[in-house]
Amino acid sequence: MALDGTSVGQVMVSRPLVAGVLAGWIVGDPVLGLLIGGILEIYFISVFPVGGSEFPEGGPPAVVAVATGAAVPEAGGIPAGIALGVLVGFLWSWVGSGSVRILRRVNGRMVPDPSRREVSPGRIVWAHLGAVALDFGRGFFLSAGGLVFGVWLARTLGGFWPLEMAGTLGLLAVGASLPAGAFVRSLGGWRRRAVFFGIGLTGFLLGSALA
Amino acid sequence: MRATGFWPRLSVFVRSFMIQGSWNYRTMLGGGFAFAMLPFLRRLHRDDPEAFSASLQRHAEHFNAHPYLAGLALGAACRMEEEGKDPEEIIRFKRVVRGPLGGLGDALVWVGWRPATVLAALVLALAGASPAVTVVFFLVLYNAGHLALRAWSFRVGLVRGSQVGDSLRPLSAQAGRLAAAGVFLLGGVLGLVLHQGWVMGEWALMVLCATGGVWGLWLGGLVGKGGWKWSIWGTSMAIGLVLFFGWMG
Repeated sequence: MALDGTSVGQVMVSRPLVAGVLAGWIVGDPVLGLLIGGILEIYFISVFPVGGSEFPEGGPPAVVAVATGAAVPEAGGIPAGIALGVLVGFLWSWVGSGSVRILRRVNGRMVPDPSRREVSPGRIVWAHLGAVALDFGRGFFLSAGGLVFGVWLARTLGGFWPLEMAGTLGLLAVGASLPAGAFVRSLGGWRRRAVFFGIGLTGFLLGSALA
Repeated sequence: MRATGFWPRLSVFVRSFMIQGSWNYRTMLGGGFAFAMLPFLRRLHRDDPEAFSASLQRHAEHFNAHPYLAGLALGAACRMEEEGKDPEEIIRFKRVVRGPLGGLGDALVWVGWRPATVLAALVLALAGASPAVTVVFFLVLYNAGHLALRAWSFRVGLVRGSQVGDSLRPLSAQAGRLAAAGVFLLGGVLGLVLHQGWVMGEWALMVLCATGGVWGLWLGGLVGKGGWKWSIWGTSMAIGLVLFFGWMG
């Protein structure tokens, strides 16, 4: 899943929505996976992996988030699972981002430097496949470490979440509105945004009316 | 012109799926580009080790592009190498196309296609589809466009060589349409979320959240690019505070 983020394929199995549901199936609660994955997806909607920019990782943190949500004791209930899952998902997306930065620096040392005439077929293949293998290992340890941390946090703090389902989802929805606004902003200047606002409003009215 | 045949080209296309495998801050996609070109260059220069080494050297240099559109540069490079073009011309071509391939690919895929398909899947989920249907719908829809773009770009590069400029123009118009579709679906998601609040019957809370949501949208519009960082930290702090008060009893 970590490989899909950048190194291989990018067929989007590493999106929080997909990773969340897959993790949900594994822990026996795909609906919880869909909820947490869908919430993370909205938060990451305006994250664009452009050039060498740093961005929060989506796949392994979504798996960790859902496992955390499922590990919350029964006394905490589903709202506690969602809140703690999303919190750990956020934290781990930053840890993932940091590990990608380190990996890219290591890759820079591994790939042959054309200006020093280091390029040979063997070095190209070794460096490339080696970098992919390192990314696989990074994803494995990132997920394993996240699972240990998430399960510990869920069992320690899961019983203290005071909000009901409506309050929990409301809090997360307000937070998610900010990246949604940032997404519309990223699409162009004021005039274009005004047109997009009209289009979005039409979608909003249709969504509320047809539901 | 010296033909290399079908299999080395197919090998380049297949390897283009892992062109970002050794992405780094120094040569960016350079290592991945050379890795993808390797079977083709080996076949093309099978009787000339020095030409093989020189061509591999120039394709390992710094390069960057959107991964789905990098196939266009790969295809064009294959064609130019086959035609025996001047190495300087090939290097110049790669330097010229990397900007447009990056910018256009980002606008088309990361800003247009991906959010639109994700939001379409979320609309489906909010309308009551099961997790399995939601995920399969997203993966099939997204990858239909993804694979078509990869295949198209590699083919255009192979057929047109260095004359690929005209083929890219229609893609910018598509990027605008996809962005509009994304915003429309985002509006749909917001409407459906509001409806869920209505169903839950928590009127006061819903009004509070809707007000907060409108402020959040406005603030996100003001902040722009870094909006997601603010929201992630802000929401994390809010969850932490609620947990703290819960712990305090």
